Amino acid sequence: MILRSFRAMGTDVELLLDAEAGERAERALDRAEAEFEDLEQVLSRFRPDSELSRLNRDGRSAAASPDLVRVVELALAAREATDGLFDPTVHDALVAAGYDRTFEEVPTEADAVSHQGAACGGVVHVDGLTIELDSGTRLDLGGIGKGYAVDRVAESLAVAGPCLVNAGGDLAVRGGSWPIGVEEGLTLELSRGGMATSGRDRRRWVRGGVEQHHLIDPSTGRPAESELVRVTVVADSAAEAEVLAKAAFLGGDVDVPRVLVTADGRTVLAGGLE
Amino acid sequence: MTDKSHRLYAVVLALVVFFVAWAAVAAKPWATAKTDPRITALALREQRLHADATLVQRVAAQRMAAYQVALKQRQAQIASARARSLQATPVSTASVQVAPAATASVRVVNLPPLTITRTS
Repeated sequence: MILRSFRAMGTDVELLLDAEAGERAERALDRAEAEFEDLEQVLSRFRPDSELSRLNRDGRSAAASPDLVRVVELALAAREATDGLFDPTVHDALVAAGYDRTFEEVPTEADAVSHQGAACGGVVHVDGLTIELDSGTRLDLGGIGKGYAVDRVAESLAVAGPCLVNAGGDLAVRGGSWPIGVEEGLTLELSRGGMATSGRDRRRWVRGGVEQHHLIDPSTGRPAESELVRVTVVADSAAEAEVLAKAAFLGGDVDVPRVLVTADGRTVLAGGLE
Repeated sequence: MTDKSHRLYAVVLALVVFFVAWAAVAAKPWATAKTDPRITALALREQRLHADATLVQRVAAQRMAAYQVALKQRQAQIASARARSLQATPVSTASVQVAPAATASVRVVNLPPLTITRTS
């Protein structure tokens, strides 16, 4: 088993490859790492020169890259499928809550930046390689972009052998069976598909004495209030698991294998895991 | 002259008869041919394999029949669970299905994890 770890997309990435160490495996791992970097350069909202940042600034891209188009299309399809529980237009709401730079740079505690949530649900048009945002609409593709990157990298790494790609909890496997720790004492063995966890137990900060976190409720434009602390979801792909985990956290009716951790410390298995 | 030739022919004929008789006796046509022990072993082995194959086929057929029965029961259970689920789900509830999750495969195990998932 070969393990490679590195930082990408603001999180720790692990590549696990079940293959003999050698030049072929090394090349595949190098390609995988480079692919994360390439996708981050397209999808990051924190890099001023990324394709997404240019789109958010200009409101329009007439020749977007296929990756950006694909992720935007996936995000819009997810918004429709979840009745708006997942929404890629939460960018301004995140900024209003204080998440306006990479999480490492967000001050743990500061004065309130906004008392009202920002509007979500902005209109996004995609036509071929042209993406157009309605006035005042900006995209955050952080979660789904990470899931997309995990799926893409897993697909390419699988050429070298059974593999698992884990980007800060969003993970996908190709071939083999992989025991994955979900909670203390709870391990799920994933042999196909993807898994993701969404919650308010990490990526949180305080503004004006009020705790904030990164899961925005699109209906209020503010960090979501939920009886759940976190939700882990298993789906066909990491991108889909990411979407469904957010939807489940926000109370959506999600019919997939999932683990819910409640505020009073209970762990509930559902969707066939019971 | 004639008597002499007759005698010669008689001697030659006697010699031929003698050698033919000798060859016939030397060939021991009354002795049965000895069987090669390797062929015997192979024949035994073939019989054993044949018996084993018959047994395996019988066991496989029994297991297949048991599997078919279990499969039918399971399919019936799934169909009835689906029907119950459809009846129990209110039409107005938003059902979140970006894509069918049937191909994902997961189970709870009692193994040390290779990695962990956490809030991303």
